[in-house]
Amino acid sequence: MTREEQVKAVGLKAGARVVGIAAVEAFREKVPDGYRPDDILPGARSVVVAGGDGPTAGAWRCPDHRVMEITGYDLRENVAVHAMCDFIEGTLSHKALQAPSLPVHGHEPPMSMMHAAELAGLGTRSLAAHIILNPEYGLLYYAALITTLPLEPDAPLAEPACPHPGCAAMYRRIGTTPCLRVCPACLAGTVQDRRIQTSTYDREKCHSRAQTYGIGSFQKGLLQIVNEDDPARRRTMIYSDFFTKSIQSLGFFRDSIAQCFECMRVCPVGRKYRKLQ
Amino acid sequence: MTVFKLDPEVYKRYKDEVLKLCNSFQKIDQPGLSDKQIAERLGLDERTVTEIRCVAERDCYSLDEWEKAIEFKRRATLEWSALALKRPDLKPE
Amino acid sequence: MADVPSGAAKQLKSVALKSGATVCGIADAAAFDAHAPAKHRPGDLLPGARSVVVVGGAQPREGDWAATSPWVMQTMGTTERIQGVGRRLAQYIESELGYYALYVPPGTASGETPFLSLMLAAQLAGLGSRSLAGPVLNRDHGFMYWSAVITTAPFEPDSAETTPACPASPCREMWDREGTTPCLRTCPSSDGGCLAGKLENGRAVQTFYDAARCHTRVHTHWVGGFQKVLEESLNEPDREKRKMLLYGDFFTRSLWAITYSSTNIAQCFECMRVCPAAHGLKEMK
Repeated sequence: MTREEQVKAVGLKAGARVVGIAAVEAFREKVPDGYRPDDILPGARSVVVAGGDGPTAGAWRCPDHRVMEITGYDLRENVAVHAMCDFIEGTLSHKALQAPSLPVHGHEPPMSMMHAAELAGLGTRSLAAHIILNPEYGLLYYAALITTLPLEPDAPLAEPACPHPGCAAMYRRIGTTPCLRVCPACLAGTVQDRRIQTSTYDREKCHSRAQTYGIGSFQKGLLQIVNEDDPARRRTMIYSDFFTKSIQSLGFFRDSIAQCFECMRVCPVGRKYRKLQ
Repeated sequence: MTVFKLDPEVYKRYKDEVLKLCNSFQKIDQPGLSDKQIAERLGLDERTVTEIRCVAERDCYSLDEWEKAIEFKRRATLEWSALALKRPDLKPE
Repeated sequence: MADVPSGAAKQLKSVALKSGATVCGIADAAAFDAHAPAKHRPGDLLPGARSVVVVGGAQPREGDWAATSPWVMQTMGTTERIQGVGRRLAQYIESELGYYALYVPPGTASGETPFLSLMLAAQLAGLGSRSLAGPVLNRDHGFMYWSAVITTAPFEPDSAETTPACPASPCREMWDREGTTPCLRTCPSSDGGCLAGKLENGRAVQTFYDAARCHTRVHTHWVGGFQKVLEESLNEPDREKRKMLLYGDFFTRSLWAITYSSTNIAQCFECMRVCPAAHGLKEMK
């Protein structure tokens, strides 16, 4: 087995659905200073990206959207990254760390997992919130490790996963696609010659949907509460369903970090894996 | 000295510009600028830009938008369920 | 009370290592009495406690220590990986040996006080000794995270370490040359930091640790910071300024840290970053 195959095998065994490798140099083109892998680990040579499944096929079929609001995220790709880091340091004697992906200033993380997944050949940007779609599995969640180990990188995908041929055909017929039609509030775009021509994504509006209950809703609710002079009204706000759910979600945020799936629910890429008995 | 507190006047003056330049409103294949890049463009220090961006991201939409989000997801899930699971009884009113 | 089967301690340690611990040791529950205050001793948590099983591991990797971005260890901490081992051992002791076992919760009983000092447990289990900077260091593996299980099983305890990892020989040499060590120089209490100390004949004879200041560094974005901003917001008469506080970077980050707690729980490692004894023995490329 090559080193690349060994590292990927460790990640896949630990629960990743896909594993890809990107060279650190590849991040220079589009990533601003301060957010590149070698800004995080001096001497970094490679970024290994793991993609993991999101909700189960059964969860996608639940008519109650609250189920996936609470169980949307699985974290397996993080486990895979840790297993690969342990292997790279323990067996291959090169430094490795889990790439920091949590937002640290507002919505900005120190490094983009989406861009890492693109460069590692695991997917391409889509009309739906620019989510990276894997051509086989569709929506996956990504985590990455940065390492001083030199690895042969995988190439970014030559063929985009989006638009799916069915969506391209739909656009020709009626000027929209399933994702654009279901969520015009957050998404807009055009398709030409079976390729994305333009695509815009309102992340702040999407935040109110993808993280309805969480840090943002807690802050907004809290500001309203502290600004409310009437104690009786304040009381109803503090004990309201909305604020209660916001506080609850803080406790379980890791599992509930993704809370809207409507653009992905209607996306045909990877849908065959959601058809079970 | 207390925790860094942004001057509301500075915030009001620059928030729209910062939101426009960062990753809040994305165009595919056109990454937004980093706080450092925005600071250079607007003639501010990076810390101030970070603070403006953080407040503006949260301030961009009111809590009404959250109410709309809750209703949107409820309806969208039920509409899909009614169609895909062949359960017209689930179709929302 | 019957003894544990012969070889049970060895088997337990093997289970611990297979489960992911780097080290495993056993302390006599009674040994805590001389060091721990009342209500924070093993018998206070599990009446009839005889032993405390301690596991260490999940330490930051060499890559983590080499990172120039402070966000790596502040947001991607691995302490929870050792907590799972502790839970597993508690279940193992009860199901395989038939003795009571209590997994020591990693949080605090009230304020900043833990249920049981995991650092003391690690020392008494022979897994390490206190450093000038505070954390317990293991001679072979350096800085690591700890988890403990209190049990009524009467395991044979391990002996405490006789040769401490701290001060390491580069630190003793530095003290002789400059009157300081890497950790004391990085975070000196004389200059707004947390640490002070004195070596004599190669051993630490005096240490000082400002826990309250260290808390502002290790838990910069945590419950304390959240409470402080909340208080300031409530006391701020200007509504626009309140918004600046509640939507601002510090408060937002604090909420992320609270929600992602176990990976964000430790937010300053500077004394350990510079410590030659903290990083284990393996060379990395």
